[in-house]
Amino acid sequence: MLETAVYIPWIAALGALVCGVLCLMPSLKHYAGPVCVVSILAGFVLSVGAFMDPGHPLDAHGHEQHAPWTHQHDKQSSEEAEDTSHNETHTHVGDKTDHHDDSKIAEGVVIRTKPWIYVGGYEDSKTGQYTYGDPTHDPEDTHGLTIAYGYYFDGLTMAMLLVITGIGSLIAIYAMGYMKGDPGVARFFSAMALFIFAMTTLVMADNLVLLFLGWEGVGLCSYLLIGYYYGKDSAVAAAKKAFIVNRIGDFGFLIGIFLCFQQFGSTDFAVIFSDPRIAEDGVALPFAIQAIPFCLMIGAFGKSAQIPLFVWLPDAMAGPTPVSALVHAATMVTAGVYLIARMMPVFSAVPESLTVVAVVGGFTALFAGTIALCSNDLKGVFAYSTVSQLGYMFLGLGAASTVGAVSHLATHAFFKALLFLTAGSVMHALAGTLDIRKMGGMGKHMPVTKWLMFVGCLALAGFPLTAGFFSKDEIIAATWIVGIEEGSGLFILLGILALVTAVLTAFYTFRLWFIVFSGETRYEMGDEHHSEDDAHDDHHAHEPHEMPWWPMNAPLILLAIGSVVSGFILVKKGVMVKLIAASSANLPILHNPTADTIHVLMMIISGILAVGGIFFAYVFYSNNAARAKIVANLFKGPVALLQGKYFIDEFYDRVIVRPLFITGQVLYLIDQLVIHATIMSFGWAPRLIGRSVQPTQAGRLQGYGLGMVAGVAAIALLLLFLL
Amino acid sequence: MEAILDKLSHLWPEITMLIGACACLIAGLSSKQVVRKATPGVAMATLVASGVVLLAFGRTDTSHFLGLGAMAAYLKLAVLAMGLLLVFVATGTVDRLKQVVAAEAREGKAFEPGDDFRAEFFAFMLFSLTGVMLTAGASDLVWLFLALELTSLPTYVMVATSRDRDGALAQESAVKYFFLGALSAAVFLYGFTLIYGATGFTEFNQIAAHVQENGASPLMILGVTLSVVGVCFKIAAVPMHFYTADVYQGAATPVTAFLAFVPKAAGMIALIALLGLPLSDVNSETGAIQLPEPLVYLVALIAAVTMTVGNALGLVQTNLKRVLAYSSIAHSGYMLVGILVGPMLARSLMEANPDADTSLSNGTAAVLFYLIAYGLSTVGAFAVLGSLERKDGGEVQSYDDLAGMRLRHPFMAGVLLVSVISLVGLPPLVGFIGKLYLIGSAYAAGTSDAGHAGLYRGLVVLLILNSAMSAGYYLRIVGTAFFGEDKGQTVEAGVPLRRVGGILAALASIALGGYPNAGALAKAAKEAAEPTDRVEPAAEHEDAKERQSAFRLSDPY
Repeated sequence: MLETAVYIPWIAALGALVCGVLCLMPSLKHYAGPVCVVSILAGFVLSVGAFMDPGHPLDAHGHEQHAPWTHQHDKQSSEEAEDTSHNETHTHVGDKTDHHDDSKIAEGVVIRTKPWIYVGGYEDSKTGQYTYGDPTHDPEDTHGLTIAYGYYFDGLTMAMLLVITGIGSLIAIYAMGYMKGDPGVARFFSAMALFIFAMTTLVMADNLVLLFLGWEGVGLCSYLLIGYYYGKDSAVAAAKKAFIVNRIGDFGFLIGIFLCFQQFGSTDFAVIFSDPRIAEDGVALPFAIQAIPFCLMIGAFGKSAQIPLFVWLPDAMAGPTPVSALVHAATMVTAGVYLIARMMPVFSAVPESLTVVAVVGGFTALFAGTIALCSNDLKGVFAYSTVSQLGYMFLGLGAASTVGAVSHLATHAFFKALLFLTAGSVMHALAGTLDIRKMGGMGKHMPVTKWLMFVGCLALAGFPLTAGFFSKDEIIAATWIVGIEEGSGLFILLGILALVTAVLTAFYTFRLWFIVFSGETRYEMGDEHHSEDDAHDDHHAHEPHEMPWWPMNAPLILLAIGSVVSGFILVKKGVMVKLIAASSANLPILHNPTADTIHVLMMIISGILAVGGIFFAYVFYSNNAARAKIVANLFKGPVALLQGKYFIDEFYDRVIVRPLFITGQVLYLIDQLVIHATIMSFGWAPRLIGRSVQPTQAGRLQGYGLGMVAGVAAIALLLLFLL
Repeated sequence: MEAILDKLSHLWPEITMLIGACACLIAGLSSKQVVRKATPGVAMATLVASGVVLLAFGRTDTSHFLGLGAMAAYLKLAVLAMGLLLVFVATGTVDRLKQVVAAEAREGKAFEPGDDFRAEFFAFMLFSLTGVMLTAGASDLVWLFLALELTSLPTYVMVATSRDRDGALAQESAVKYFFLGALSAAVFLYGFTLIYGATGFTEFNQIAAHVQENGASPLMILGVTLSVVGVCFKIAAVPMHFYTADVYQGAATPVTAFLAFVPKAAGMIALIALLGLPLSDVNSETGAIQLPEPLVYLVALIAAVTMTVGNALGLVQTNLKRVLAYSSIAHSGYMLVGILVGPMLARSLMEANPDADTSLSNGTAAVLFYLIAYGLSTVGAFAVLGSLERKDGGEVQSYDDLAGMRLRHPFMAGVLLVSVISLVGLPPLVGFIGKLYLIGSAYAAGTSDAGHAGLYRGLVVLLILNSAMSAGYYLRIVGTAFFGEDKGQTVEAGVPLRRVGGILAALASIALGGYPNAGALAKAAKEAAEPTDRVEPAAEHEDAKERQSAFRLSDPY
């Protein structure tokens, strides 16, 4: 089944194409939803098939090409060798002969098509044949660049594919109901399917350039979907903001790709990871290689909305809610996490880079968590919460726990999608109202939504035994383990931050839930009418209503189940460990008594903190907003600061946007006055010559005769000088 | 006497033309209207007959001093073909108004020969064309002078008689044309005199031999300079360009088309010959003989100023005939570049490497090609103007008249498009190929003549800049015709043959274009400009010396 997995992106692309055609046929546009769902579901089926395949990268035999690379871990004790022994059993004997005995080999299956980009090449001196690219991949002797449209399957790819197509299918099904009756529904589903195409290409790419293609593709779809309601200025502005902020990140990413090509002679993962300078420890790395992870990191921070490039994500909620759930919570924003996990061999070769990732992630988690505390925007809370949770994932990556990071990525996809979609239901029921101060006691009208969101909130808050609890705990524990084992004060600080963030998360999550669903029933209807042709349209005017089971609440049930059990399966059952072990993101997991103790301790502490946070939220916000007001009045300053979102947008505006704008205006003036004027003068010069010569064409015979004779005289005089 | 008879044997095509001209004179003055109407037909038949005679009995002048004996045949044939086209365009020019003729017929008035100019008009056309053909075969200064004047003198009369309406305008311009033409004739005749004074010969072969032997004296250079400047009148180049716009505007449009090609062709041929005379400097690198330094700079200067002034004036002009007049000045400037590099390469290239592909480096070939390319395009454009007339009977002269003609006269709009685009020099039309050859030859000259590399490269750049500049007014013509708002001011003139002429010109512009070296014309021009049958220098030398001494004996001094 693994070979058929290469069709996953293309089925989605076909879906996008069909939906695109349906855009042109208004009478058929309501088929766009099913087409999109089918194209994504087919991808999911193929992903599962690939996952179940015996030819799975865990047991990769008999595929076209294998790209083994070594990744040596000298710090590992014998215990880890046991833990990762499953890995050894699945590698080929032939490929391993020259590897160190203590090396762990993670490998992906590479399925390649013909190379599609050639830059440069070299001529064989004997045959005279010109070959593109450099087959020897000798880093000292890079002749050219060959880029194949190749796919790369390993455990990480599998995990990502399952999340993208699985969660994507559920969200697309929900969207069929949510977007029903919207005039641009075909456009919406076309962009959704295109997004799946780009996202799956991103995670399946076997080289950085193809990955970048998918990266830009999801960026484009994000832009299209944020700006879906292009009639609204705020949506257009948000779309542009997302696109432009991501360009800043992409700049770093591109430099990273260039450096990879310069240093390794290829952008293929297999080549990069098997490069001796990466694969072997203790090699002094040149500055250019050391710079690669930092460059890639900038791209990851942009796409995954980390400090300082997080400002676009909260605004991106201007798109339809299923988009917020799929693109801006579950999948696209995790592309940065995926990138760092994918390039983990390079990152772990430069340990400082992982520290930077951890610091940025840890601070982003806390920073965004505090903003979410005081946000009154239903989707805004979840947006900042997403930034915060992504910060956790980066912290996990930085603490060398790719398992924790990717597990949290997967569980977060479940519960954040659930939260966004239930929020979307509330918004839908209230015809577009997003301000939680205008809501209360919605549980009476929307019992199913209420309890579905409750499950999501529990998972997000990290309530013991829910999905978020296990995955978040993995990260927090990893941070503390690094801090204690290596005696790193920085990581202990990050661990403390992570715990504080955990309390905040539990608090702000349930603050929202209590405000919206408990207390007195109060609501204000918004002015949006999603479904003109809906039978229940008349209810909109009167009161909120529960969403229909199909197609909206049914997929939410599945998401809720995932939100509860996925953590247990992925983390406790070790599925993710196996997947990651069979991938380039494989890093040693410490298992010694101290680490185990810390792990258990952290589980207990974070469980208590989560329950505590929920309790505080209950105390302040359940049926008694007065208490919250008293507290809020005590901390007027901080609350204003948080409600202003630390005034980061204003800060960027003053420090970056305005000066750039003014510079632009000045340059425009210079362009107009100097360059434009110069160019125009070139155009005017011939006319000026013409006008100045025109008087000689006065029509008088004498004048002409005089001109001719004068010309002859002038030439004769000139001749005197020339002779 | 034998020499004259020998020369005459080369002249059967010209003699045929003269006979045809006389036939035109007779037919045009016939008392029968049908015969009078057939005068253009007689002219066409004469041109065809002359062409047949040329192909059947034409001989290559093996003693041509530049070794360019094949050039004469090429030029004669080209002039005959263009002449045919010009007769198409010129039909109906001097026809009297139908109403007048009808009224006279009603009154029973007898045919009055003094009232009808057909006979003179077409006879003079043929005379003028004969003049060009003679210029192409000229091998002597006196002959060249007579041939040039034979080309020009009939055109003065053609301008004067060309317009029934606005006759005063035509006569005014004819007078200007005549006086200034006479002035220029004086200048180049003076130049001829100085050449004779400097060398003692009037025959090209002898002059060239003398110069090669003794070097070009300052007097010789002054003589050639004055000759060149005088001939600049024929090609409408600075500083003799002043008359162009006035005369082109004053003459009837078909006559303007004639003026834009025929005297220019004669002048170009004369310049090729005249600048072949003083080849004396030896290029220190290639060993090739080349023009004396002062002449190189003078011709380059004239070329540069001519193309720039022409295009600059064209940009600010609003009268279409004047615009095309300035365009014709600019094209003369382009061709002067080819003339400048021609003599040097024509002689040296074949000697250096007989098998080399010189199609992009032979300046003379480029000029021979460009002359026809320019002729076809400009005659096509004038044919369009001539095939239309204003509703009030006036000539089409302003941009407004053309506005929106795409809808009313789609065919002529197409012809205009092809002609003007070819004049701009856009591929794949013939004008583009011509410009490519000119630029290529100048560039190659810059490569082979390191001493003047900057000069030739500078001319290339200027030529390209000027092409861009010229697009400014050419494209305005097309833009007006195709996208302008139709003002409904024009109707088709009742002379279908003019339209045929225009369409033929446009078709030729397309057919002779294509890609470089594709067309028959390009091949012919290349062959014509390559010294095919060079006389052994030694034998020629002896011969020349002998004649020289013979001449000296009778020298009164």
